[in-house]
Amino acid sequence: MSIDIELQKSATKYRNKQKVKDRFISALIGVFAIIWIFPIVWTFWTSLRPYKDVRANGVFSIPKALNLQNYFDAISRMDLPLYFWNTFAITVPAVFLTLFFGSLIAFVVSRYSFKWNVTLLLLFTAGNLLPAQLVFIPVFKMYITLGKAIGIPRVLYDSHWGVVLIHVAFQMGFATFVLSSYMKTIPKEISESAMVDGATVFTHYSKVMLPLLRPALASLAVLMTTWIYNDFFWALVLMSTDSKRPITSALGRLQGEFVTDYNLLAAGAAIAALPTLIVFFLLRKQFVSGLTLGSTKG
Amino acid sequence: MLEQNNGISRRSVLKGAAVGGLGIAAGGSLLAGCASKATGPLAYGARSVDAGPTAQNEALIAAYTAKTKNEVKYNATESNAFQNNLSQYLQGTPDDTFEWMAGYRMQFFAEQGLLADLTDVWGTIGDQYTDSYKIASTGLDGKQYFVPKSWYPWGMHFRKSMFKDLGLSADTVTNWDEFLKMLDGMKKKGLVGFAAGDKGGWEAMGTFDIINARVNGYQFHVDLMAGREKWTDAKVLEVFKHWEMLIPYMNPNVLDLEWDGAMQLLLQKKAGAMLMGSWFGGNFKEQSQADYDDLSIIPFPEINPEHGRDTVDAPIDGWCVAANGTNNAGGADFLAFAGDMEGVQATLDAKDKDGKSIPMTSANKGQDRSTYDAFQKEQMAVMDEAKYITQFLDRDTRPDFAGPVVGPAIQSWFKNPKDVNKIVDSLQAQWDALPPLA
Repeated sequence: MSIDIELQKSATKYRNKQKVKDRFISALIGVFAIIWIFPIVWTFWTSLRPYKDVRANGVFSIPKALNLQNYFDAISRMDLPLYFWNTFAITVPAVFLTLFFGSLIAFVVSRYSFKWNVTLLLLFTAGNLLPAQLVFIPVFKMYITLGKAIGIPRVLYDSHWGVVLIHVAFQMGFATFVLSSYMKTIPKEISESAMVDGATVFTHYSKVMLPLLRPALASLAVLMTTWIYNDFFWALVLMSTDSKRPITSALGRLQGEFVTDYNLLAAGAAIAALPTLIVFFLLRKQFVSGLTLGSTKG
Repeated sequence: MLEQNNGISRRSVLKGAAVGGLGIAAGGSLLAGCASKATGPLAYGARSVDAGPTAQNEALIAAYTAKTKNEVKYNATESNAFQNNLSQYLQGTPDDTFEWMAGYRMQFFAEQGLLADLTDVWGTIGDQYTDSYKIASTGLDGKQYFVPKSWYPWGMHFRKSMFKDLGLSADTVTNWDEFLKMLDGMKKKGLVGFAAGDKGGWEAMGTFDIINARVNGYQFHVDLMAGREKWTDAKVLEVFKHWEMLIPYMNPNVLDLEWDGAMQLLLQKKAGAMLMGSWFGGNFKEQSQADYDDLSIIPFPEINPEHGRDTVDAPIDGWCVAANGTNNAGGADFLAFAGDMEGVQATLDAKDKDGKSIPMTSANKGQDRSTYDAFQKEQMAVMDEAKYITQFLDRDTRPDFAGPVVGPAIQSWFKNPKDVNKIVDSLQAQWDALPPLA
């Protein structure tokens, strides 16, 4: 009898302790959430205020007017359809090609054993570690030289394809790494039976492996899309015509030579961030699994 | 009236020799004859996406196309991105003519053979410009590579109404002692005396320029920028000593404010004076005509009587022709038009979206100065008083030195002015470590 009460007591005690702990954790998470959400809320708040008001009264003043004028101005000054189209024309082929080539290499290095397969995988992964700023001059020179050699100066430099190719080159390392570690989790027996059934290498890849890779490809596609979407650097250094550059550079159009209207810029940033947000909310599941891809080795 | 030193150091001669071949090849005699020939379609690279300059460019291009029937393709890039990427831009597939700056910033690229020779253009329009503009447009090899458009001076800006309240006038702030007295008076009234911002890293360069020119004179400043004088020189320390005297009168958050933060202090009447380029008048005008009418500029006060107020930072903006463009003759033809009074007038006639004219102080002698407003006339007076014109620190020295080295050095000086010896040592060490230009 007394043991029962004792047990109950200790259980309540434990539960109470757990409750305190939970509350503490919730509070901590709350604090972090506020820290994370603050810049976004502040951006939104800033985007509603006219610059003229801020200039005359300071950033922390009580607003005299709140409206959506900055959004209208940003949309008209950013030339949105054009720049969104440019982003689309760069991102879609780049993601597609990265996944295609990445899965091909991953397939070969993880399904076939030959002398250099680990070296090959390492080579591709190592390329991932090179900072873009380090290699952009050689890449730039290469593009120019190639253009001169074949007599069409804009064949790669100042063209969407040039930017697409460099993204493919840069992202492929990561894609290969992730896809090959995912492929290693797929039982070898599947491959073996495919081969026994007489599948050629290409059938093996396209009819057996590719369908199994679908979840990994989806997650990777979401990640790649956000990365390439957010790129500004390559589009800047490998293009000379501003009207060919992606949406990230259109944001720059809101920045004056001397005056930066941060309120307008905030509105522009909110607009430019919208597509990534939409993609994120639509494909939240893939995104989260994408972040943990390759973190556990099968 | 104005002079610009083009002293050629041993170093630059060597550099010149190294790239001489290229320069000549790029120069060539691509220009056959003069303006308004059918030179075919061309591309124009704009260095700004702001409303004012865009309206000006569009007016200029429309006038050119109407006259010559040559189509002009317009390619505008935001100025920071354009500037940072210029080297790649010029080596790649540049537009035929593009907006750029005079002085060292132009010479740097001319030496690399990336700009086309515009000597023939100057033969046509040269008599419409004073010598100082021609010198600022000339490369180290003596050829012209640049056509000037407009300029603005750097000076002490204040509000007439506040000066009146404080019992001050332009004539009572002419030398250093009077200047410090003025700042003292402002401080006692609870105002920021010398509004400053240096978050961007370039803003305070103007203060260094002008104090250096006042203390040590034009020649020393030019030689320092070209590396012929040392940053560790006692004369440079003297500049920082004078600058340090101004710190007590500055807003305490210099490194947190960009230049427009400092401007807001003046606009909100929290600051009495600010050293800045006059371009920002446009902001005051945008705020209200009354604010613009209240704005005033005087030259930075004299420090060393030997030099008086004989130097001013007055950056000149204009155009170049890219040697790697597809139509060099067309680019030059366009600039012969843009630099001619006919083109200048078309630019001046441009209206913003509210139908108001866009204030511009043109480099062309022919601009009717009777149309200047009061603030523009004061700018002209600041300019006229100066015997020597400098461009601005980041336009007068190597681009790989100004932005990446001098900017952060001044910022760290603001953090701890006592470190000045360490800072000038590191400035000199970093200059010495720069690779030779090739």
